[in-house]
Amino acid sequence: MPPKPHRVLLDRVSGYADEAAAYMRRRRVSRRPFARLYYPNGRSSDHADDSALGAELFVAAGRLIEVAGKRPKG
Amino acid sequence: MIQEARARDTVGIFTHMADAAVTEVAPGDAAEAALAFLAEMSPDLRGAAILNSRGAVLAAAGDRERWGEDAAALLEIADRAGGEPAEQVHIATEQGEVFALRHGGLVAVAVTERFALASLMFFDMRATLRDLTTAGRRTENGTMRPEIGPSTPDQED
Repeated sequence: MPPKPHRVLLDRVSGYADEAAAYMRRRRVSRRPFARLYYPNGRSSDHADDSALGAELFVAAGRLIEVAGKRPKG
Repeated sequence: MIQEARARDTVGIFTHMADAAVTEVAPGDAAEAALAFLAEMSPDLRGAAILNSRGAVLAAAGDRERWGEDAAALLEIADRAGGEPAEQVHIATEQGEVFALRHGGLVAVAVTERFALASLMFFDMRATLRDLTTAGRRTENGTMRPEIGPSTPDQED
């Protein structure tokens, strides 16, 4: 028995909404600044920008971004 | 004076790398070529530098001294954060992203546009350093004389 037409429409709309929500979530997460360190034994650690070490890492990163400058056009 | 003190303090950052003993030789020309290749492979790259375990800049896109100082500062903080030498560093800010990688006794530091793919960036950087260390080994056995010789912590003292 085929699904009712309005069910197909609802499924499609909710599918698009889920996609959009996932996109926005990924975008929000990726836009947030982060500092992540990886160690030889496979361990990794995150440092928030409001922590003392995190702030130092962001300052050091900022200096490197400054020295790298803007990407050359073309 | 400040420069001297800083250099003295930061030498250790590079020498206690986990795999510092693998190779220390990387000719400057090879490093420049490797950096150019990295830039070619990574469209998001703004600038990068390759350093040896002593913190000497082998190749850099721009001010070599600044790259050396700022990379040393970043690695010093990263090492302090974990209580052991960090292998990879990835920092994403509003202005861009910073990657640092230690491999084969060398250090690659790169700055990219925002949202660069970290896994690809690290892969490219690792491949670049691997090629460079291979070239360094060939140079050791070949006719070319490396510009940067082997170093140990003892030599620095």
